[in-house]
Amino acid sequence: MFSFIGRNKKIFLALTLVVFLFWLVTTQVENGRFRFLERPVLAISGFFERITSGTYASLESAWDRYVFLVGTHRENLRLQDDLDRIHLENQLLQEVLQENERLRQLIAFRKEAFPSSVAVRILGRQVSPASTTLTISKGSENGVQMDMPVIVASGVVGRVQTTLDGSAKVMLLTDPGHALAVRVQRNREDGLLEGRISHCALKYVSYYVDIQEGDLLVTSGLDGIYPKGLPVATVVKVTRHESNPFQTVVAKPVVRISQIEEALVLTK
Amino acid sequence: MKPPVYLALFILILPLQSSMLGPLAIAGISPDLVLIAVYVIGLLTGPREAAVAGLTLGFLQDINSAGFVGLMALTHGAAGFSAGLLGRNVLNFASPSNILFLAAFSLGEAVLITLFIQVIFGSVPFFSMLFTRMLPAAVYTGLFGTLVLQLLKSRKTLVLLTRPSLQKEF
Repeated sequence: MFSFIGRNKKIFLALTLVVFLFWLVTTQVENGRFRFLERPVLAISGFFERITSGTYASLESAWDRYVFLVGTHRENLRLQDDLDRIHLENQLLQEVLQENERLRQLIAFRKEAFPSSVAVRILGRQVSPASTTLTISKGSENGVQMDMPVIVASGVVGRVQTTLDGSAKVMLLTDPGHALAVRVQRNREDGLLEGRISHCALKYVSYYVDIQEGDLLVTSGLDGIYPKGLPVATVVKVTRHESNPFQTVVAKPVVRISQIEEALVLTK
Repeated sequence: MKPPVYLALFILILPLQSSMLGPLAIAGISPDLVLIAVYVIGLLTGPREAAVAGLTLGFLQDINSAGFVGLMALTHGAAGFSAGLLGRNVLNFASPSNILFLAAFSLGEAVLITLFIQVIFGSVPFFSMLFTRMLPAAVYTGLFGTLVLQLLKSRKTLVLLTRPSLQKEF
């Protein structure tokens, strides 16, 4: 036995590693995600994210304002160049106006509904086949703490997973480790909405409950994390099997994560 | 690969993935830069070193995300090992087949992870995700990765990236 292992040491080592990693993952399914090394990794990646996103913004700005205009100047007459520049500046102003409008809506929404909240910018999106998270621009020094809900005017984004002084990581509601209590807006039926990578699954909905495609799911407030009544997801598929006491319900988040640039963290 | 290259890669790849590739996203889908890096390491170094690099990068990606720690480490480790075998036996940087292999690795990883989530939790809309997320992401990763390989393929760049013991193969 030992001589066999000795002869095939490398294969045995690789297999042991694969089995260990598989055990590590399945252990987390039962006991929750391991949180070691999270803060130092976030500190390093958050630091460089600020630099890279800042650098990118500067380059983009330089491209929009200067390089593109040089190209245009070479291709066109002076008058055409002026016209293009004005057009481009107008576009930039439109962008600023749109940002202004978004921030105005966010502030109005915040004042009306959530006076205890912090407005944040999205610094980065970590997309992997297993999970998607956001890095936001404020952390514990602004009152952001773990498990605080993150929302935009159109609905729920997710909740804070890890915080540092000046930034935080947000777990999206589509993450397989995320769950929240929801209610079907139409008939007030309760359920638990769990993340499924790009969609969500509404769990523990009895076979006999009336639920239909297009139904809006809102937070019920029963989980003690999210306030009641926020839009969360829309039902896109309902499957019933006579052998299963529960329905299989797939829902799509109302917030398009790839499009958000600012958000609110609810601090109370 | 040279140790400083590894160090720079381990520190910078996640911030690059999350902030620089964001604007390149099409309908929320962006290329998997970490997988591309693992693939490049595989072609440059061989199966053992690429598997260890994939394991480390995947582990960092796991910690930096909200996913289960070990899942991406496992898949990236396997991808690195496979890319190393391909690099040793079949492929080089200029081969047009890279686009296919990169897309296949990306798709394989996504399918494995989705099936894992399906087995553990259930209710995953697999086919919907296959066509709206996994396949487009695989194609995008294949195209973007091939572009990266084209940028790196000059002998001067490869010598700059790799240790002297590996340079005799270029």
